[in-house]
This record gives sequence, C-alpha cells and structure tokens, in this order.
Amino acid sequence: MILEALDGGLLTTVQDAGRPDWTHLGVPVGGPADPWALSVANLLAGNDPADAALELTLVGPRLVAREGGVLGLAGADLGARVVGGRRLEAGRSYRIAAGEELAFDGADGAGHGRALRGARAYVALAGGVDAPRVLGSRSTCLPGGFGGLDGRALRAGDQVRSGPSDRRPAADGLVWPIEDDATADAPRAPVTLRALPGAATGIGSLTGATWRVAAAADRVGVRLEGHDLPPDIGGEALTHGLPWGAIQIPPDGHPIILGPDHQTTGGYRVPAVAISADLPLVGQLRPGDEVRFVETDSDTAVRALRDQRDRLAAGAAALLEAAGWDRLAASAGG
Amino acid sequence: MPERVGEPVIAPFGDAALLVTFGERADPDLTARAGALARLLDERRPASPAVGRAVPAHATVLVPFDPLAMDATAAAELVRHAVGTMTGASGSDAAGDLIDIPVRYGGSDGPDLEEVAERHGLSAADVIDLHAGARYRVLFLGFAPGFAYLGGLPDAIATPRRLSPRERVPAGSVGIAGEQTGVYPLSMPGGWNLIGRTDAVLFDPLRADPALLKPGSAVRFVPAR
Repeated sequence: MILEALDGGLLTTVQDAGRPDWTHLGVPVGGPADPWALSVANLLAGNDPADAALELTLVGPRLVAREGGVLGLAGADLGARVVGGRRLEAGRSYRIAAGEELAFDGADGAGHGRALRGARAYVALAGGVDAPRVLGSRSTCLPGGFGGLDGRALRAGDQVRSGPSDRRPAADGLVWPIEDDATADAPRAPVTLRALPGAATGIGSLTGATWRVAAAADRVGVRLEGHDLPPDIGGEALTHGLPWGAIQIPPDGHPIILGPDHQTTGGYRVPAVAISADLPLVGQLRPGDEVRFVETDSDTAVRALRDQRDRLAAGAAALLEAAGWDRLAASAGG
Repeated sequence: MPERVGEPVIAPFGDAALLVTFGERADPDLTARAGALARLLDERRPASPAVGRAVPAHATVLVPFDPLAMDATAAAELVRHAVGTMTGASGSDAAGDLIDIPVRYGGSDGPDLEEVAERHGLSAADVIDLHAGARYRVLFLGFAPGFAYLGGLPDAIATPRRLSPRERVPAGSVGIAGEQTGVYPLSMPGGWNLIGRTDAVLFDPLRADPALLKPGSAVRFVPAR
C-alpha cells in the first residue's frame, strides 16, 4: 500500500514502540501517545501490536492511495472518510482502493476539524509503515529530528509505504470488540486520571481540583491550568530522571503531565505520577478537556495494567477467530 | 536526612520505575556513585530483562522496570544488591577518555562572550582562557539527545541564565548557565549565555556510538579559528 499526503495535517508522525533503550543519552522514549490505540490499529491491520503506524493529531492529513491495501483505524474519531464516499469508523479495518482519497477533518461532519472525543487517531497499514530503523525504532523523534519521515511530521508530497512483510493476509471489515477507555466517555465529561505519589510531596494538592488542559498540549507534555497551587508544591528540584506520566510542577504552578517525547531528566518537583494504565487517557487529552486526579496505590495500578493487557489479548483473539489468522493472539499477549 | 555512604534511598517513582537517591545536592562524588550504579545495572540487564535502561543524574538513578514482569519490591531488591557490590567510585575516578572540543569563541559564534566578560570584570580573552583552561567531567546526559551536563566550570565565569531565552540556538553552540557549561547538540530554543561554537557533532543517531560525550568522559575546550 502507498499513501501519498496531499496535506500533512496538524501533526502526523510515524510511531512504533519507541526507544526505551537510549534514555541515558538524553533520547526521549517516544512511541505512541496512546499505546492502547496504536496496538488496536495494528491488530486490526493484521500487524504486531507495536509495528510502526501513523499517529494523527486533532486534524488529520489528506491521503490519496497510490496503491491500495488494508488499513486498521483506532483511537480518536477524527471524522475519517473516503472523500465522496464512505465514512471510516475507529476500531475497524478497511480495504482502500488505489485512487481513493482519505480525509480526517472533523468528527461532526461540519468541517470543524475537531474530534468529539480524544486527540489522536492511529492509521495502521497492513505490513506496517516502512521507515528506516534509527536507534532500534521507526518512531519519529521530533525533539531529536530523526526517525520516521526524516525526523519530522508528515507533509504534502510524502509517500507512506507499507512494509514488505505480509505476516497475515489482511482482512477488511474487522471490528475491534473491546471498549476503548480513552475515547469511550461522553464528550466533555471530566477525565479521571489515577496517580501515585511522586518524588516530591504534595499529591493532595493535585487531587482536590478539576483542571483544564491548556493550549500547550503536545507529545512532550500536557499543561494544565485553572488553579493556583500553593507556592511550595512546585519549583526547582535537583535534576533527576523522569518517567513518562510524571506530573511536574514548574515555578508558575501549572502542572505538566509528561508525554512520550518528554525530556529524560528534569529539574522541577514531581509530586505525582499518572499510572501506566492511564497513559492512553493522557495521550487523548486535548485543549479544553477537564481533568481530575485521584490517588491510588501501586497494587491497583499494576492490576489495571494487567487488565488492560488481558483485554488487548482478548480482542486480538477475537480478531484471530474473525479473520482466521494464526500467531496473532500469541504476539498480542507477549 | 543524613547521607550514609552505600545506602541510597530506593523509592517507587510511579508504577514502572524506581528512583534511587544518593543525596540531595549536586556533588561530584554522588554523581560518580549514581553513574557507577547505572553502569552496573546496565551490565546486569541481560540477566534481568524486566529492568529498563537506567538514567543517572546529579545524585539519583531512575530505574525503569516492567511492572507486569517484576514487582517493585523485586526491582528494589535487585538495585540494593547492585549497590552492595559497587566498588568505591568517586568523582576523581576517570571513567572515560579525554575529548577535545574545538571552539570558535566570540563573534557571531559566541554573541554573549563580551557580556559574560563585562559581568565578571574580565576581558574576553580572560574568559576564553578560563573556559578553555579548565578540565571538565561529563556528569550525565539529559535535556536533549546528546546533551551533556558538564562539571568543572571555573567559578570566575559562572553566569546566570539569560533573562529571555533565544528562540533558536544553533547546533554546536557552547554556553554557560549558572555553574554549568555545555554544548547544544541540536538547534533548539535556549537561555544559556553563548560564548562560542563548535563543529563537533555531539549527537548523530546513525553513528554506532551516537553521543560524543558520555557520563564520565573528561572534556577540554580548545580555542580554534
């Protein structure tokens, strides 16, 4: 399959499992902002869950198929459709014919260019997106300017090709059978994120309030506003390593939930860390969304993550049956 | 909290990492211990695939782990064991090579050189002599791919960050911020006082060894024209 961009969209990048092995050199882990949705898109396309796919942000690209093929769609509903033709829903696989043009420009059909719920959609091409491996990954590293499509976002004229491998015969018409946490809630309902205490005190100051996602929400981090924290909660700390999901408080008192492209070390206080199972929710936050934090414990956090993995495996097994693939369930479980 | 040598605080940092804390201040000996622990943990990763890449900093090591394959208690036990086998690393141990970085000081390559000199009542030549005369040690990497935090800047030229950051600092710019000096590996926004620029490539993801500077490396800046 070959998709040529007529327009790159707001921020379209290639993402796979990222580069967790290079953080000691200052390279961000990278990878999908919503790991759950990347896995679902890949499974629908017959790929391994961590294969390279396109991550679309709020307003997607215009893509014309120079060569047809099957793709899996997951994550936020960005109003995907074949121009002049059918609507493409998240959580399904479709066969796209050569010459068909894909648009992702608004869930409400009115061309507002905004998703009703969620910020990021994933488009997986059967066979994965073909891009060179740099430091072990095909992910676009925007902060380092490498990986994916020459280290930058998709733009008009780029061609996105599927990988050479066809592990499984691609099947269209598949439907993902498991509910998607990050994009399932009613629009405008506050998003509840579970958090654990971090490297500094003060998690209680975060949990009492409803926050609003600021305009500065990207792959590096999601900035929250709407409250003034006590001055001693935020500020500088001795620079230390940071996990994805860390909630750091700069001196201005506006929390930042770190995303996959966050700096590997930082010098602000971190009173809380979002649990791993809720990172997909963080990846789907968009400016204006409301956010609440609840404190949880590590047992609950690990149970939630295990449950998420099991649901992904169950979904993969159901697709296996629907499409008659082998090996799919095993790779999703691992 | 009193710092007892060999007994860092090991605490969960989220559900998928530990933060190992040797102390609460930037101190060459603590940094050396953090670096030594990170190296030791990395050497042991083949035997413990659930443990991720360790990230050392001034006085801490971030130790990621896969919480579905290993619980935090087991991860902490593994770290404690590694700490127990650490040999007495200190800030004076040379763990790496001496790397010379050629720098064109001043002019358009170092637009803040005169300002730094004036601030300290020095001439531009004095600043260059002091900056190029010192021997630096890479403490750790962070902030951006290939960016090394360097220890060893002479106090006489320590200079606070600029009040308004530049929107774009060219790759290779050599700067001073507080008691740190460093080289921007890529073109990016930044608030450091820029005193020169190097053609050395600090980070190349396609190189077998992507980062020029690594924790423990000794670094010298050499004036070039």
